[in-house]
Parts: sequence; structure tokens; C-alpha cells
Amino acid sequence: VYPKERGTPYKLLPFVVVLSPAAIEVLETLFPVPNSQPQSRKKDRMQEKIAEEEMVTPGEVLGKGSEVKAGRGAYIAPYNNTVYASLTGRRCIVPSSPESPDQRPTVEVIGHKAHGPVPEPGCVVIARVTKVMARMASADIMCVGSKAVREKFSGIIRQQDVRATEIDKVDMHTSFRPGDIVKASLSLGDARAYYLSTAQNELGVVSAESMAGGTMVPISWTEMQCPLTGQIEQRKVAKVGA
Amino acid sequence: MAAKAGASPATYSPSPTTYKKNRPPIFTDVDWVRPDGRDFHQCRPAFLRTGAVNAASGSAYAEFGNTKVMVSIFGPRESKKAMIYSDIGRLNCNASDNKEISSQLHKSLEGAIMLDTFPKTTVDVFALVLESGGCDLPVVISCASLALADAGIMMYDLVAAVSVVCTSSCLGKNLVIDPVSEEENYQDGGLMITCLPSRNEVTQLTITGEWSTPKIHEAMELCLDACSKLGKIMRSCLKESSSTSQE
Repeated sequence: VYPKERGTPYKLLPFVVVLSPAAIEVLETLFPVPNSQPQSRKKDRMQEKIAEEEMVTPGEVLGKGSEVKAGRGAYIAPYNNTVYASLTGRRCIVPSSPESPDQRPTVEVIGHKAHGPVPEPGCVVIARVTKVMARMASADIMCVGSKAVREKFSGIIRQQDVRATEIDKVDMHTSFRPGDIVKASLSLGDARAYYLSTAQNELGVVSAESMAGGTMVPISWTEMQCPLTGQIEQRKVAKVGA
Repeated sequence: MAAKAGASPATYSPSPTTYKKNRPPIFTDVDWVRPDGRDFHQCRPAFLRTGAVNAASGSAYAEFGNTKVMVSIFGPRESKKAMIYSDIGRLNCNASDNKEISSQLHKSLEGAIMLDTFPKTTVDVFALVLESGGCDLPVVISCASLALADAGIMMYDLVAAVSVVCTSSCLGKNLVIDPVSEEENYQDGGLMITCLPSRNEVTQLTITGEWSTPKIHEAMELCLDACSKLGKIMRSCLKESSSTSQE
């Protein structure tokens, strides 16, 4: 690993970074697997899905609109009030929760082959910074939620979206560097790129390499330290852990 | 063109005499027998498979007699060609640089895909005609909708396409469904319908050539019936391939 000169933007190789086991643990604390949280499971247990054996294809009738609601993978046609499937997969019926006024069960189709995730507004994504400029930073979106995308999407972090306070005094070079892995929330943006925002405590740089090449350890909201040289570098650091 | 003296101002409309067909009927009293021995209202057996291309999000291969087509789907992914922001997704069809097939494929598929489920991204459809044995475009359309269903793109329904040619001067006064290339060359007119079989909606109707109104009605009914049968075949192919992939 060669020491990198300060301030020189460098092009990243288009390969996925191989994560060391330590890095995987860091990411696992950032994205805990839903099964391990008992509080969120309570709601799911009340709505157990019953997946059926037969496959359905797009356009097949799943039920009447008066009897079932259309969930994910299904849609309701207004002119004859019928629920049709829109994916290929198994039909599954989710019973309605007892306190909702509408007692119809929801019918969903679980696709047998899901394409890579598509970024949706409001979701939290993991991106790698590619360029840092005076008023914005470009990043490649690599994961949406906890799923990796098939092909990367382009995102921009604008100066006003880096943090929540004093947004006009943000210096992009003390917030991000090329190669940093950031966690951000997404909005649809403009034609060229998605807009990413790190303006929350839990969002920001989660992993960065120092100029000497070591993976840095966060020491405050705005600083990270290299374990090899002890040098402190400035970043917009994300709050990790419970 | 000879200009008639004292006639209406010069136009470029064909005069009635040049419009009449000069092509002599090829078979007048002989009954045309289709090269593969089919009935006039009988379609070719369809061989459909999904998952032919591993690198693509979804793919399908279709073989209707001698017409062999492969379609692969990539997406939803970002497109560098997108200059304008759009709230809904985009569909980009490419049939090995054949502009006509690409644009007709686009028209027939865009009515069936739920574009608002993938905003700002693009679904790329690449169609490759490996062998052209007649009736290429309908086979490409059916194969593309099968590939889209395989890729997990949300659709309102599968798209089935069938075409019919009418021949009044050459092959006896008959409507020939699912023509081979030879029959397409002898046609007086062609009609192609792409429809959503279980919702009974038409996404595209293309009529070319000479048709009389009763023949158009007959041809449309033939096509719609064939489309619903093709739709059933496509569904069984999808179910079979996804149940084998689950095991």
C-alpha cells in the first residue's frame, strides 16, 4: 500500500473492495439482521404469511377486490375490481391485523427471482465516494438497505446535505475523501444522479482509509485516527452502534 | 408521370391505372398447401424457455418453427443516455440495430410494464433474431414479455402477439395465420395484434396492405383467439421454469 499524497484525487479501480472480517463485523453492527431484534418481530408474528405451493404469473387473477387487498407484487384493476398478480412467484396471503378497520387479508406475490434492488426515496444506502469537489461530492451507490446492487448507481452529496447545522460553512474536503464508505439517505434527485444526504447523526463516513493506508478509527463527530501512524484526519463521521 | 392538359394542379397522387396490381396470380386454381403441412388457421408449435442468459437479469428463448429468437433483459439500471429527469421508469428496446422492430417492440411492451415501480431507472431489452423464418416481430414480442416476467419486472400482464396475412390474389382467398417467410412475401396485407390475454386488452394493432372490412374483423378474431392460447402456453412455460429453479 503506497502512501497517498494529500489532496490528489485518484481514480478508483472498478472492483469491489474485499471486506476483512473486522469490516464485516462493523457493517453487521450498522445493519443488524432483523431476526435478532425481538421488538420488531412481535408485529410480524401477528401477521404470519401463508405461502402457497402454486406459482402465479403476471396477469393471473388472485381474487376479487371486495375480498382481498393488493399487496406487493399484485395490483387492483379499477374497472372490474379484481386483484391481478404483477410478478412471477408464489402467492401468499397475509391476514389483516385485528385492530385495523379493513378486515380483508392482503395478497402478495413473492417473486422467485428478484432483480437487484432499485433505490427508493428515503431509503438508507451505502456509497463509496469517488470525487470530492468544492460544493459537492460524487459517490457510487453500492448497497440499498442491506442488499448489494447489481450495477452501481450514481449519487451526489451536496454541500447543504452534509450536516444539519451551519450548512453554508461546510468544507467538503474535511467531510469526505475519495474512497470513503458513507451511509446516506437517498432522494430521487435530478436526471443525472441521486441526491444523498448525511445530515443525521447516524449517517456519514463509516469506514475510511488513512493516507498511510490503515483503516481509521472514529474518535469524534468530525475526526478519525489512523492506527498505524496516529495521524488524525477530518471526516463527517457516522454514529455507529446502539 | 404524364400531366393531363387542363387538369387539376400538379399533384403526386398515383393515377388510378398505375395503382392496379400488375402482379399475376401465382396459384389460381391450385390450393396452396403450407410448407409445413399446417391448416390455414393453425399456428406453429411454440418452444419457449426462460433463463437462457445467465449474465442478464432475465432472458427467454423462443422457437416457433424456423423462427428462433433470444431476448435478454438488463435492469432496472441507470442509463447514461437519460438527459431528462423522469418520475417513472424508462424502457429501451434494441433489436440488433433494426430500428423498425425496436420501435414496434417498444410500443407493444410499454403498455404492459408498470413503469412507476422503478423511477428514474431504465430497463434494457435486447432482442436477437437467430434465425428468421417468418413472423419475426410477433415472436420477438412474445419472447420479450416472457423475459421481462423472468426478470421480475412488474407487469400488468404477459404480452402475446400473433400475425395474420390475407392473400386474395395468390394463395386463394384465405387468411393465413402465423405465416412463414414465403407466405409473407405473397401477402396482400398483414395484420398483427399484440394483446394482454387475461385482461383482454390490445397494446398494439398494426395493419398494412389491402384489407376489406369483413376480413379485418375475421382476422382480428382469429388473432385474439390465438393470442389467448399463446398466453396459456407462455404461462405454463413460466411456471415450469420457476418451479424447477426452486427445487
